Amino acid sequence: MDMNLDIASWYWMDFFVSMLIVGIGVALLATGIFTSYFGAGKSQKIGFALLFVGILDLVVISVFTFDAVEGIESVFDSELFTDALISGVSALSGMVIGMFVILFVLMKVDTVDDLEDLDLEDLEDLDLDEELKKLEEELNQADNSTEEKE
Amino acid sequence: MIDIVISMGLTGAMLAMLGMGLLISYYGSSKTRNVGLFFLVIGIGLAYYITSVDTSTVHFGNAFIAFLGGMLGGIIGIVVFLIAIIKS
Repeated sequence: MDMNLDIASWYWMDFFVSMLIVGIGVALLATGIFTSYFGAGKSQKIGFALLFVGILDLVVISVFTFDAVEGIESVFDSELFTDALISGVSALSGMVIGMFVILFVLMKVDTVDDLEDLDLEDLEDLDLDEELKKLEEELNQADNSTEEKE
Repeated sequence: MIDIVISMGLTGAMLAMLGMGLLISYYGSSKTRNVGLFFLVIGIGLAYYITSVDTSTVHFGNAFIAFLGGMLGGIIGIVVFLIAIIKS
């Protein structure tokens, strides 16, 4: 992999700005579809507005990249744009796959702490009836003492 | 094209492993912490592979700023959506 770290030589316009606009468009498109489908009344109208802006955004960037309309000069290089799109989608896919692997391993590995330190014998030895009797006696003694004071 | 897919896919997986590994190894319980450290080691291994072993001609800087731009654009889009919903 070419690890050239000279920031000045990177294609910021073709890689960063183009993907920034595509990202905004995709996010507006997705939220617009969601809101216009599940929303009601005013929310639904906002959803349609977001959907329209998202579609407009993606159409504008395709026009400015692939020379779709005559007379409009392209701003982004189409080959670099394709590379940028593939890079972004691939990195996102890699992250999603990595997260799934992490979740899979976490679910498969026994992550609960051992209960060996907990001494269950103490609990087995407890006689609950005796403990209840002791508590009742203590409560009775407390009641008697308050009545005597009154 | 396939070089970009493989290299950037590995980069994404590396970022997930390093980020989640750090979180799990710091906040996890005694057993989960070991799993977090395991993910950290895998993340470092992937980073070594990407920076030293991978012989593809993919330009890391350009590909990474494309990924960053896409993520930032997505965040801005969701912020716009939230503002539109809250202000309505």
